[in-house]
Amino acid sequence: MPGDITLLFPGCPASADGFWVGATTVALIRVDGRTILFDTGPYAYRPLLLARLKRLGLTPADIDTVVLSHLHWDTATNADLFANAEVIVHERELAYAELPAAHDWATPPYMTRALGKLRLKPIAGECDIAPGGRILELPGHTPGSIGLLVGREILAGDAVACARDAARGRAALWFSDGAQADASLAKALSCAEVVYAGHDRPFRAGPPVAYLGDYALRIRLFFDPVGMDQEICIKAERARSFATWPE
Amino acid sequence: MRLDLLIPGLSAKTDHFLFGICTLVLLRDGKRTILFDAGAYRVRGALIAALQSHGLAPDDIDVVYMSHLHWDHVENVDLFRSADIYVSRREYEYTAAIAPSDWGTPPFVREMLAGLRLVLLDDREEEIFPGARTISLPGHSIGLQGLVVDTEQGKAVLAADALWSARDAVRGKPDLAFYDFDQGLASLTRLLNAGTIFYPGHDRPFRLENGHVTYLAQNAYRLRVAFQPYGDDLEYAFATERGA
Repeated sequence: MPGDITLLFPGCPASADGFWVGATTVALIRVDGRTILFDTGPYAYRPLLLARLKRLGLTPADIDTVVLSHLHWDTATNADLFANAEVIVHERELAYAELPAAHDWATPPYMTRALGKLRLKPIAGECDIAPGGRILELPGHTPGSIGLLVGREILAGDAVACARDAARGRAALWFSDGAQADASLAKALSCAEVVYAGHDRPFRAGPPVAYLGDYALRIRLFFDPVGMDQEICIKAERARSFATWPE
Repeated sequence: MRLDLLIPGLSAKTDHFLFGICTLVLLRDGKRTILFDAGAYRVRGALIAALQSHGLAPDDIDVVYMSHLHWDHVENVDLFRSADIYVSRREYEYTAAIAPSDWGTPPFVREMLAGLRLVLLDDREEEIFPGARTISLPGHSIGLQGLVVDTEQGKAVLAADALWSARDAVRGKPDLAFYDFDQGLASLTRLLNAGTIFYPGHDRPFRLENGHVTYLAQNAYRLRVAFQPYGDDLEYAFATERGA
């Protein structure tokens, strides 16, 4: 086992009318004595991210490395919490985020200023950040998208946004170069058995792709000022036996 | 003063992320076009579309009136490069040394505001636009400021998170007094006496009569989830109902 991956937030391949969901995968990787956080999520994760680290007995100061797959609003926004960490980001991504393309609604124009006080470690190419932990270049979704290969498992960021993109062999959403995004998707799938997609729960690369676990999202609606709250649950569960459900 | 609701606040939460969908309002006095709060990044597209539906682009906004500097109210402020950005001086000065327990105010909020035309407002209640008075409502944050607007339907109180949802009004107690509960309670009492129509931070606007809430707008959202790699999206909807 070259490294140990703990999912802090499973991604969710959801879209909505009226808002961007941005349910990004955030994972903690322990490899060779290093504690690495892969992506930091949107600001909307912030109190939950702190609570989930705490539940693992960690504070932000315990994270020694942050890998930012790219600099979108839902990926890199809480990086400022990790002042002690070396923050790995592709130099091409950093340069791009200084002046994002006009059609790119996902890179906040203030992102590089927000990262300014951190210990940034821009990388220029593929490199090992620890024995058994390798940064791969996966451009296309953005100019400097990267992933982290841990043994035969890959944290792919939005180079592999979801299992459906993997199944179709096409990156549905890209901001930089569609052909490059498709090539990066193929590259990520070819070097790993297990994929941590940017906006989905982990799955076997296949083919066919196969999820490794279930997912549930609870939404609490405080809609009635004098009555009951409502809750809806969005669930994806493996097929179970008709005969034995409910247990 | 003409008041148009651009995005109604959403009183909902998930166990995976906060929504942070706050009430965004457009005010027009015939001369100036004023935006009340800038909203969270996730509504950036929706905000631009809502402005467009009123024939406006971000550059047409003359003033962005910031109720406070929490993430979900400020993340899109950079869109408004031609506007004066009205921020409470107390709130702005606080961002030089944000309390460690305050995760709501982005430590990089000054970097968000960099390059914009800031106008710092002293803690003084005054008619800031014709037919609109500032009202100081601290408690949720250190220097939260609302607006009391004369409309054809009556006095409308744009309370932001000093009134998180209609539930605060019914219970007479703020649910989310982040900074100081006693101040939050006093602010809630004051704002409820300042008008008849209320725009909460994270709920749809309502009229309050003898403790009875009548909503004036609704929320309706649809989610599509690609749970089936080889199949169709699954759809989920959630919506508020008329009245309450």
